[in-house]
Amino acid sequence: MPIIEVRDLRKVFRSVKRQPGLGGTLRTLFSREYVDKVAVTGITMSLEAGELVGYIGPNGAGKSTTIKMLTGILVPSSGDVRVAGIVPYEQRTANARNIGVVFGQRSQLYWDLPLVESFELLRAIYGIPRERYRANVDAFVDILEMGDFLATPVRQLSLGQRMRGDFAAAMLHDPKVVFLDEPTIGLDVVAKEAIRTFIAEVNAERGTTFILTTHDLADIERLCRRVVLIDGGTLIFDGEIETLRERYGTHRTLVVRLAEAAAAIEMPGTEATLADPTTARFRFDRRTVTAESLIRRVIDTYDVTDITLEEPDLESMITRIYRDGYDASPAPGPEPQAAT
Amino acid sequence: MVRFRFEPYVEFAKKAFSREATYRMEVFSNLGGVLIRLFIMKSVWTALYAHNAAPAGVPLDAIITYTAVALLMSIILEIDGTRLIQTRVREGTIATDLMKPINLVLFFFSDGIGQTLLHAFLIVPALVLALAIVHIDVPAPATLAVFALSFLVGYMVNFLLNFTMNAIAFWTLETHAIQLMVRWVSDLLGGQIVPLIFFPPVLQNVVLALPFAAIYSTPLLIYLGTITPEQYGAALGLQAMWALAFAAVSAVIWRAAQRHIVIQGG
Repeated sequence: MPIIEVRDLRKVFRSVKRQPGLGGTLRTLFSREYVDKVAVTGITMSLEAGELVGYIGPNGAGKSTTIKMLTGILVPSSGDVRVAGIVPYEQRTANARNIGVVFGQRSQLYWDLPLVESFELLRAIYGIPRERYRANVDAFVDILEMGDFLATPVRQLSLGQRMRGDFAAAMLHDPKVVFLDEPTIGLDVVAKEAIRTFIAEVNAERGTTFILTTHDLADIERLCRRVVLIDGGTLIFDGEIETLRERYGTHRTLVVRLAEAAAAIEMPGTEATLADPTTARFRFDRRTVTAESLIRRVIDTYDVTDITLEEPDLESMITRIYRDGYDASPAPGPEPQAAT
Repeated sequence: MVRFRFEPYVEFAKKAFSREATYRMEVFSNLGGVLIRLFIMKSVWTALYAHNAAPAGVPLDAIITYTAVALLMSIILEIDGTRLIQTRVREGTIATDLMKPINLVLFFFSDGIGQTLLHAFLIVPALVLALAIVHIDVPAPATLAVFALSFLVGYMVNFLLNFTMNAIAFWTLETHAIQLMVRWVSDLLGGQIVPLIFFPPVLQNVVLALPFAAIYSTPLLIYLGTITPEQYGAALGLQAMWALAFAAVSAVIWRAAQRHIVIQGG
């Protein structure tokens, strides 16, 4: 049985329509017109226990709205949600015992209290048995290297330290599902890596299910096999990153520095552009053109000083999908070749 | 079904208690404010009584006792224990609160209790200082016990009234103006400033039937003996009715609020 089941989930927000100008402002005080904004338009997906899924989409795509419905703090306009067999908005507190949440931009630690006292309060809130609590705190302090700042009030912690504290806080009660909302935002490389290692370890060792919302696609590449992409409140892709790669990662780019400035550039079988007069870019389909043959032809044609090969990264693939929409037509074939 | 556990709420109350204790300046100025008001009220009543002996049959001593006890009560009753609701709705932290397996009403309630307990400690020094300014009559222990009970019910009415006001923040995000208005009305119509028995008879009937009287007036009139033992049942009954009515209103508003949540920013 899937641990998260979502069917035809919809959420419509109703807000007061604002009239422009001072007169308009006064008018809205007395008579109100409402506008409906559809934040999520019918999403269906399911997650198996132990999955680590990237949930991505541009700003305003409906990611947070979905997460809020899964955590039970937002009531869907229609559709079904189940998390570990529970309808979150109907049984908020029962659901709360099964989930953990980490917000990169909002701490759930108690600002004035030393970190360890926040943990103690959470122990009381969730009623975690003492032994279990001790074992978890020890394990997390160890993995996240929190020993040095356990007694420091949260407001004095650095962002990296605070995030580590927030992660531990979210996991103390052994949640089945953990929602991560931009957990690495603003962190330096070392802290990011510490957090990613922690997520991977908890996922592997405890079988915790993670939904990771982020704009840092390096998080996704490092941690997730599966990715769910939404845009404009609609699910546009749900599958393995490999599938995306096969579909959108077909094109590599050969970047060539020229010894002399060129006015125009051309190379059969590629999309050739000049980034600047001495930098040529040849974008080619790896399935019809080999890098070796292309490099050979380029060197034969131009006076070359340097060559690099750019591989498609998730970032550029996602950028293309955001811009052009996901093309779900089956069996992507090689692009038709220009006559040579 | 998970068994109800008190532990989290005891912890919340403790945390609120120590949090309030860190705002020492505010605690002391609160105390100072009460004493200044007591001094002013004493002067006003004394001046008024110099021209009109015992209106409504209440002697000067009784009215000053009334004022002093009312002000001591205000140390506890003026705490808006559920102000936290608004803060957390506005800052959006209510979202993380809602993701915890806790009863939020009890969370805010226990936070309020923690604050109240800290301020309750102020009653002792306030009483000592007040006795330096005025004379306070003390009734028989039995009357005092009924007063304490009535005060407790009044506290509940006040708390639930505040809760209802603060819960409006779920829709408006800001309730300061409404609360200020309700506070003034409830102080005046609740008999905190002027005993309700000084109101014209017609107005008195209306005012005594309003919930505000349950907060200050009923316990105070029990204290003074104006409400006699035969009337205790009716007086406490009316108070309890208001407490229950507000509990019902709070429950309805809370249910609606939970369904209507708009989390700010995020």
